Amino acid sequence: MKTVEKVINPVRRAGEQSPGKIYDEKLKVRARREWRGLKDTLYDYTRWLYLISVLARFIVVPRNIKGFFRYRWMMSYLFVPHGMDKFTVGLRDEALRIAHTSFNFVIADVTQAIANCFRGDRRVGNDVYYSDHCVITDENSMVTFMMGFDKEKIHTILREVPTMFASNIFHQFNVMHYLDVAQQYGIPGDVCPMPEAEAGISIEDDFCVLGKCAVQNNTTCDGSLMGNGIIAKRLERQYGIPTFQLATPLRHKEPDVMDYAATEIKKAIAFVEEHTGGKWDWDVYFAAAKRVNDATRCRIAQLEINSTPYPQFFGAAFSLYNDTNYMGNSGRDPNFVPIDHKLLALAEQGYRAKRMYAKEYRHRAIVWGVQPQYTIDMLYWLVQCWGVMPLADMLSIINTEMIAEEDTPENREQAYRDMAMLNMEMIMRNHTHGGYKVLLDELWELCEKMNADMVMMWEHMSCKALTGMHGMFEEQARERGIHIMWVSHDLCDPRVFTRQAIRDQVNNYMRTVMREEPLDPSLEIIPDNEAY
Amino acid sequence: MRDLEHLIYFENLLQEANNALIAQAKSDGKLCVAYTCENVPEPLLNLGDCCSIRLFAPHTGSMDIATYYMTNLLCEPSRALLERAIEGGFNFADCVITPDGCTMMNRCVENMELLHTMGQGNPNFFHEYMEIAFKNTDSDVDLAVLQCTNHVLKPLHEKYGVDISDASIRESVERHNKICRLIRAIGEFRKGDRPRITGYEFHVLCLATYVCPKYLILDKLEETLEELQNREPDDKPWRARLLVVGSEMDDSGMIKLIEEQGALVCCDRFCFGSFPGRNEIVLNDDEDALRQVCRHYIQSCQCPRMMSMDKVYGRKQYVADLAREYGADGIIYQQVKFCDPWAYERTLGSSMLNVDFGYPVLSVDRPYNIASSSGQMRTRVQAFVESIEIKKIQKGEQA
Amino acid sequence: MFKKLLKLPLYLLLAAVCFFVVTFTIYMFNLDMKATAMLAPLLEKWYDHQEHNQYI
Repeated sequence: MKTVEKVINPVRRAGEQSPGKIYDEKLKVRARREWRGLKDTLYDYTRWLYLISVLARFIVVPRNIKGFFRYRWMMSYLFVPHGMDKFTVGLRDEALRIAHTSFNFVIADVTQAIANCFRGDRRVGNDVYYSDHCVITDENSMVTFMMGFDKEKIHTILREVPTMFASNIFHQFNVMHYLDVAQQYGIPGDVCPMPEAEAGISIEDDFCVLGKCAVQNNTTCDGSLMGNGIIAKRLERQYGIPTFQLATPLRHKEPDVMDYAATEIKKAIAFVEEHTGGKWDWDVYFAAAKRVNDATRCRIAQLEINSTPYPQFFGAAFSLYNDTNYMGNSGRDPNFVPIDHKLLALAEQGYRAKRMYAKEYRHRAIVWGVQPQYTIDMLYWLVQCWGVMPLADMLSIINTEMIAEEDTPENREQAYRDMAMLNMEMIMRNHTHGGYKVLLDELWELCEKMNADMVMMWEHMSCKALTGMHGMFEEQARERGIHIMWVSHDLCDPRVFTRQAIRDQVNNYMRTVMREEPLDPSLEIIPDNEAY
Repeated sequence: MRDLEHLIYFENLLQEANNALIAQAKSDGKLCVAYTCENVPEPLLNLGDCCSIRLFAPHTGSMDIATYYMTNLLCEPSRALLERAIEGGFNFADCVITPDGCTMMNRCVENMELLHTMGQGNPNFFHEYMEIAFKNTDSDVDLAVLQCTNHVLKPLHEKYGVDISDASIRESVERHNKICRLIRAIGEFRKGDRPRITGYEFHVLCLATYVCPKYLILDKLEETLEELQNREPDDKPWRARLLVVGSEMDDSGMIKLIEEQGALVCCDRFCFGSFPGRNEIVLNDDEDALRQVCRHYIQSCQCPRMMSMDKVYGRKQYVADLAREYGADGIIYQQVKFCDPWAYERTLGSSMLNVDFGYPVLSVDRPYNIASSSGQMRTRVQAFVESIEIKKIQKGEQA
Repeated sequence: MFKKLLKLPLYLLLAAVCFFVVTFTIYMFNLDMKATAMLAPLLEKWYDHQEHNQYI
């Protein structure tokens, strides 16, 4: 089997050494916050103050209070600081700053998204003018088709992000109710719970109702595609919001699907123009394209740092920031640019200082598959408890190609193909669809490139595209001498796999197969199954 | 009713995927083009000396090896096919063409390829994967034409020298239409108060047209149609007339189970069925045949993966229209276990057909091989049939 | 007046110290999330009692 050189951290972590011991089972939250040494505790404290100020500024608006009491998923809003603590357990120095910089930005972005939803929502703010200039789209949606619309005039509302995606990250039980509703109406329990919960939210009538029109797509999976039908029916028939289905070819590596994909993008743009009265602006598009390329360069640089013995930006922070930037933003918001560069500067600084996230790195792992939403912080646990460094995760291995960014007649035509390419190669689906090569072969290439000796396979049990290659992963890993550690979960339903049940799969593998002892035994069992 | 003369013959053909007629076709020098999904235009797989064989796995028992490769959460048809392929049950195939229609079936064929389950000793053997349309628009037709050209016609021509000319396609369509006309005419006998064919008998005949070389069963189908014209129907009325909708149905045992409860399956709307799979393809002389065939498949497609809302609503309207035409008292929406597309379609369809169109609907999931778990299904169908009877009685009382 | 103005920085400092002590105590002992956790069951009841137009 392949082995990698162990890297020992010569520096003792400041402050608390066993952060696993601070949960209060009874209260379902931590008994106290982590002591990280004076400097980092004060830094964490100031970021907490900032977070509280973001949340406070949101809730003082009367319509937001109304929305808070109208929508069940708003419960997760209360637990944002609790969620933030999950993402910073055991972190110090640059790592702590990277986590805060990326997450605080994402949280502010999502908070703004909720505020926008409530502003236009017919049941809450009912700002008709605003709503008439909004386009609703899916949570798992590239918004490339909006890149050429001035974001101050035509607003893109990813209304499923705060409702389902983020909600489950901050409050693990928050989508269970919607899953129950969906199943009560006959959707089986074996489909992916994410689109199922979204369908449940629609059935429950718990989505904000706003927008002049909606654009749905099939970017993730069969379940997502099919759930859209249920959501669109309610949008169209009850609320009179016309929907457009943006078809995105699955075999995205085949050149013979490109014309179709580009045509679909054109149709989506025409649909938005027709319904909102907005006008596609090439200046706006190419400015956004430049930002997309800039973000791509930053991401590539981050991954290059991660291929060294001292990775810096990884795990939930990397993955969720990429989700927001690559998919939800797609170059439209210039505020992401300084954050991208700040994160890169922090990572470079950490790399130069040889900062480490744990006492030692025993293994270098590629994390493949789809992470559980409610245990999305687990990669920090993995490195601190077992010394397994997650170098990159599948959801962050996305486009590395530059798109056309100069406004020329040829590039205007190329732009549709670029948008189509980005759309087809959206997060997750660029590996889960498009044939087995992008799922299997690219994993082994990545292991080689990043010098990984281990693959941590998130086996999202309802993700048929992934589990359908289970045996092949095993066989091919064996042939290559790569350790493959299976970690099953059900994405956003903690009743199927609790947090500890997920961690125990790693514990068992590391003890029985790798015959190793944890670096930090206090983390092996954490009483957070009932925690929010 | 008196038994159909050729029923046992057809039933026997369905006992194995690699049936006697496939062996005969191979000895006739035919190429067996295996496929797995109704979204692949069938006439294109029957050009020249090709004959299309849709893969199925009758009498599936254990799926242990396939479950290792694909886990127990993938739909049973995909695992059953992989298991059968690993066992060597599809060794007759000269190529496999599959669309990236549903993820699970696509993964099934990819596993077949990676495990080299077929094509040993045949240097020309190939696997092809197609992108298929999502909507009913001109650009979807363009996509389908391109995909069929690149992933069906070109490989067949380059590997096996198959004639892929317009004339050859038209000839294949005509042969295809002959089968469609026969099946549709036979299916018409399910209509009326005294149907001359049962749903089970019809399903056996219809299924055979997918899994056997068509040219070898043509005569028997013609004779069966003739026999039906003079067949004396039973006097005993059926308790209810049901339309069965849903996932692919390549197990006639499911239809048999329903009819054992006294209900007639008067119409079918599932993959491997006659609606829309046995719709005649009408060609004109103005446009090339390939484009017309592709357009036909896109327009008539009732697959739940078609995502535009005209298709979403249209599928339910189509079911309602069939129910009215065939005089159905109720509808069974069935989904093979772990099938994602039909999981959602069944939910929405069973609701809309009941609420918007007023039909009693039974919504069930089922195993691939109904024999593996027939008791639960029997109970549910019994209860459904009884509920329809009660409604009929109540209606009669009110009248 | 001048004396009062001289004391202003002192008051500000005192206020800042108080603010720090209070907020840091809340932060360090996770009082914000403890309060939220106590509130959550009540909110759940609130949401459970709301009527929704369930429809597919």
